[in-house]
Amino acid sequence: MVDQLLSLFDSLLKQTGLAHLYWGNFVMLAVGGIMIYLAVMKKCEPFLLIGIGFACIVVNIPGSDLALPGGLFDYAYKGVSLLIVPPLIFLGVGAITDFGPMIANPKLVLLGAGAHLGIFVALILAKLIGFSLSEAGAIGIIGGADGPMAIFVTMKLAPHLLSPISVAAYSYMALMPIIQPPIMRLLTTKAERNIQMAQLRKVSRLEKIIFPVLIAVIVNLFFPPVAPLVTMLMLGNLFREVLIVGRLAETAGGTLLNVVTIVLTVAIGSTMSAKTFLTMQTVEIVGLGLIAFVFGTASGVVTAKIMNLFLKTKINPLIGSAGIASVPIAARVSHIVANKENPKLFLIYHAMGPNLAGVFGTAISGGILLALLGVK
Amino acid sequence: MTPIPDNIHGAILISIIDFVLSFVIISGIGVVLAILPVVNRYWTIDDKDLKGGH
Repeated sequence: MVDQLLSLFDSLLKQTGLAHLYWGNFVMLAVGGIMIYLAVMKKCEPFLLIGIGFACIVVNIPGSDLALPGGLFDYAYKGVSLLIVPPLIFLGVGAITDFGPMIANPKLVLLGAGAHLGIFVALILAKLIGFSLSEAGAIGIIGGADGPMAIFVTMKLAPHLLSPISVAAYSYMALMPIIQPPIMRLLTTKAERNIQMAQLRKVSRLEKIIFPVLIAVIVNLFFPPVAPLVTMLMLGNLFREVLIVGRLAETAGGTLLNVVTIVLTVAIGSTMSAKTFLTMQTVEIVGLGLIAFVFGTASGVVTAKIMNLFLKTKINPLIGSAGIASVPIAARVSHIVANKENPKLFLIYHAMGPNLAGVFGTAISGGILLALLGVK
Repeated sequence: MTPIPDNIHGAILISIIDFVLSFVIISGIGVVLAILPVVNRYWTIDDKDLKGGH
């Protein structure tokens, strides 16, 4: 009787997740918990980290079938892997973004290219430590600090690396307020950080309407590999700027963006199972991602300083780091660092120019990378 | 097109081409943006007309 009961309990226990728990699950449960802690207590990108952290915890409980084929998280992942979710994210971002600062000061778009040195430093280092060129390209694009673009390029070049690359990209984007300021201060003098920038011109409605159409044409013409993302960004922006379809702009930038953000975050989190995530390769990718962010930030600031050698009206080099993309986090960091230096400085509008150009810079770099590697 | 070799030379080559081309292309976008205000000479749109709605 007792033996029968023990045997029953034993088989019952084997059906629960408890019997399959191992140290890796505990590590990933801690990682998920830390993400939620950072989101809630430190307010580090809560819209991203809560979903990622929660899904990370759930998929590391053995027995949970949400991420298995047919589970809800698996369908969310399919939305990402089939490249449906990233363009929809861009549609929403376009609908809430004012490209006025970028249109008003065209010379600052150079910072959108200058702040992407990190992509190439990480690419070369990744190749040096043994990744294939396609994998190295996908890892490098973390330095573009653009989550949907990192996912998009990774799915084309090295889909098996989606989990560590997307986690590294989004985690470092969330940690930019911690990563960037020391580098920005290190590379600038007090006088440079105090440069007051002239007020930007007012951009007309007509310019704002023509802009998304023009960019969509240019990108589809020259960069078909990354056109889906930028085209949707521009469609969302057109909804916003024409003013007559307010409902569409509100839906794209509000409800739809919220829905796809939920889908995206649980999809990323659901790829973080201990067995696939806790590898040396993940450690290497996370390390390379950090290097990419550091070099991207530094090269943006240095590019701004080089531009100052030729400009009559100097720019505050702190806005250079915003060229890394990650809208609007990097622009906010530029503003906060400047504002701490001098409370009279308000750089947010100025920093949005290079910040938005950074989105195009990442798209261009990604598009060229895909074209050079022969990927459509 | 000759494929880029999958070695460190390929990685350096792809990086240099991509970085330089990115500057060239984004400069091109900058030039397009710089001439965009020209459209204001020929046409203006009043926000009030658009907000009239649909």
